[in-house]
Amino acid sequence: MTWTCEHTEARLSDYLDGVLSVAEQTAFDAHVNSCQRCTPLVASVSHLLSGLHSIEQIETPPRLVYSILDKTLGPRESGWRAILGWVRSVASIRFAYGALSFAATLVIFATASGFNWRHPKVADLQPANIYRNADRQAHLVYARGTKFVNDLRVVSEIQSRMREESEIPTAPESTVPESSPEKHPGRSDGSKPAAPKQQNRANDITRQIELLAEQMPILADRLNCLPIARRLP
Amino acid sequence: MEQDAQLVQQCLQGDGSAWEELVRRHSRRIFNICYRFTGNGTEAEDLSQEVFLRVYRTIGSYRSAHGGFATWMTSVTRNLLIDHYRRTKRDRITDSLDDAMPVVENKESSGRRPDEQVLLGELSSQVQTALTKLSPELREAVILRDLQQLEYNEIQQVLSVPEGTVKSRINRGRIELARILQQMGVRPS
Repeated sequence: MTWTCEHTEARLSDYLDGVLSVAEQTAFDAHVNSCQRCTPLVASVSHLLSGLHSIEQIETPPRLVYSILDKTLGPRESGWRAILGWVRSVASIRFAYGALSFAATLVIFATASGFNWRHPKVADLQPANIYRNADRQAHLVYARGTKFVNDLRVVSEIQSRMREESEIPTAPESTVPESSPEKHPGRSDGSKPAAPKQQNRANDITRQIELLAEQMPILADRLNCLPIARRLP
Repeated sequence: MEQDAQLVQQCLQGDGSAWEELVRRHSRRIFNICYRFTGNGTEAEDLSQEVFLRVYRTIGSYRSAHGGFATWMTSVTRNLLIDHYRRTKRDRITDSLDDAMPVVENKESSGRRPDEQVLLGELSSQVQTALTKLSPELREAVILRDLQQLEYNEIQQVLSVPEGTVKSRINRGRIELARILQQMGVRPS
């Protein structure tokens, strides 16, 4: 039997379905392998079939079933049963995620625009009020952030000053005999004066702590307990 | 199949929940046939409703001895689609799908990688475009066989033509579809 291109076209589906006889199969293969016209044809139809079989079913629109039931059985229940039915018709993981993210976005935007959740008012939803509240919130957040950073800087400065204070080497008391105090002009209390460099440093720190205390009155009490800051108000 | 026959019996006795169950079981398949045939989501939805309305009215004429309920429904669908095709033939200026409503492809594909899903979605839309360029006889044969995976004898029942004609239409439809896809630049990988 001489296999032609017409034979190949006519029996292509049988070939792909695997229902050709052995003799037909052999003739088919021999022809296709040597025919420049039939080789791409068989390849393209074979590719098409595997593609068609891998295509999945399209999702039905959620309302379709309820539209059909409404048209055939009549309008469905009203009230909460209808709502429940609608929820059941659209209930899917994807819908739940979508609804959740939409609600979260709304809450974030509403909170950012200064909406009061405890005492909600319709007036808060007006565009002008939303803009005003959002502007106010933005400034508040900026001011709070700036204050927080400044506070951190002050605390860090205080800590570093205190560390420096504790690290200043002081002469051991035993090196200065009690019995023979050195004479210093202008000192009648017999106390030992600090070296000029140390004195300058202490004065400098005291000035700075005074300044800090003026800026942050809440720290004044804490700072007063430091021996170096006795003069603070 | 037996469950379908039982539900039909319950429907005939006036059981609304049995009808609801039948609608739920078959709506997706019918919608898919309509969508693949028309290439338009809105038309497919309207046609699916029409199919179920007709089935609801004529369910008494279904005889389980003549075949499965699904095959009978497919037959009703096919008749409606052909009617619709003839009715809208004059209005159809072009085969373009530009006005087609986008339809959500099934994303619950089991265990497929995202890139595979993208390729599959692309192939699906290319096939859809090519399908609408086929003649209705070849199109319905390919849809029933290769997209709905019906057996030859079921297609024979649905189309009411001899098995030889069914096979010939499927064969010609596949070759024609492959050619259209080639012309569209879709090459076998």
